[in-house]
Parts: sequence; structure tokens; C-alpha cells
Amino acid sequence: MADEVRGIRVSIPSHPRFLAPVRDLAAWSAEQAGFGCEDTEAITLAVTEGCTNVIRHCYGGKHNERIDVDISFSTRALTIRIDDYGTFVDPASIHSRDLDEVRPGGLGVHLMQQVMDQVRYERNAWGGTSLTLMKHIQGDDHVLRSGELDG
Amino acid sequence: MEVTREKHGDSVLLVIAGQIDMYSSPELRAELTAALESGSKRLVLDMEKVEFIDSSGLATLIEVLQKLRGSEGKLRLSNLSSGVLAVFELSNLDQLFDIRATREEALQDDPA
Repeated sequence: MADEVRGIRVSIPSHPRFLAPVRDLAAWSAEQAGFGCEDTEAITLAVTEGCTNVIRHCYGGKHNERIDVDISFSTRALTIRIDDYGTFVDPASIHSRDLDEVRPGGLGVHLMQQVMDQVRYERNAWGGTSLTLMKHIQGDDHVLRSGELDG
Repeated sequence: MEVTREKHGDSVLLVIAGQIDMYSSPELRAELTAALESGSKRLVLDMEKVEFIDSSGLATLIEVLQKLRGSEGKLRLSNLSSGVLAVFELSNLDQLFDIRATREEALQDDPA
């Protein structure tokens, strides 16, 4: 049976008040895909960190710019693409900090890398940054829902 | 996010409910700063009703911890849900913060 890909796309202003609704959408998508509770929490954390980085780094804290969030999922994986229209941020400039260094900040990229299977930054067609976050479905949840095993 | 503040002996207990992210972190920072400015050097946070925390929330707590350490104060966290505790563990911050299982334990004095 073909593995149908479904998804949802939203554009939000770059205001932190929209982080919670984006989390809700990501959680809904993760549940639809068949992720368990822990993985769903991990995905909502990653999408929050990704959008927060856009607001902070790509838009320099400006709250009236545009962020596109595209969430697609199948019974095998969930992918979130976050696009902005601001400054391309060199991934090397926002790499995670040494965890032994005790200071506020610098944990967002580390958290995304910890909870997702893929974290990829690219320059997008508008000169801004495109962040792709992907997580595979693993474990019994996936088998029960899809009725097939990953090949 | 909602924060309620109570005095417990030498400690100030802050009961936090809701989601802590870039939107709510400034409010949390203001509440914690107000608690510090009330003169108490022992802050206990009950986080049982915290549904979500991200790196912005962690950064706010690190700021307060650093302020308290500078004045020989103490910050204890308690009642973390498994999801919230996982974020601390992913950042190795469970090693940095004094995290207690219950509010009562967090409010207890250290043995002399």
C-alpha cells in the first residue's frame, strides 16, 4: 500500500505568541502520524526551537515578519520545514555551545539535534534560511498503525 | 503561563503553570526577579503544572541561578514532569540545578 504523505502548511508572524499554536499543529501532526507521547513532545520542542531561532537570529527579534511552517507526515516519518524571508543564518554561527559552559542561551540547536533524526539548514530561494527537521517513526506505535515494517 | 508566589519561612515558593517559551519567558524572568528583590535568597519552584519548557525557559532559569550563586542564594526546582525533566537532561542541566522530587522536599532545609 502506498505510504500516503499528508501535511499542513501555515504562515505565522514572527511573534513569539504564535509559538504555542505552531506547537499544537506539530503535536496534532505527530499524533496523526502515529508518534508516541515522548516523540510528540520532542517534535513540539524542535519546532519551537526552530521558530525561536528564526525570530531571534534571522529577523533580529522583529515581530512582524513572515515565517512559513510546512509539516508533512506519513506512517514512516514527519518532516517540518521552516522558512523565513530574512537574513540567511550560517549554521556555523548558531552551532550549539559546549554543555559544560554554564550560560544562558545556545541550547536551541543542541536540543533540535538531540531529539530529531535530521536537522538541516539551507539558504532558501528568497535569500533567507530554510530549516528542515525530520524524525522517523520507530517502535510499536508505528507497526500497529501502519501494519507493515520498515524495509 | 501563570505564576503564584508564597512565602514559606526563609524561602519563596513560586508555583508555575503552563508553557515556558520565548513568549512567556520574560514574564517568568520578571516574577523571579521580583522574588529575588523581595529579599529572599532561597527560591523554590514547583513545576508540576509546567506543560512545556524550551531553551528560552532554560536560559531564564540559568540567569536566576547565576544571580543567586553570586549572592550565595539557592534555587531549587521540584515536581518536574517527565517531559520537562527530559529537556533538562538533554541539556545536562539536571546536573547543574538542584532538582527535587516534591515541593515539600525542596522546601526542607539542608542538614547543618
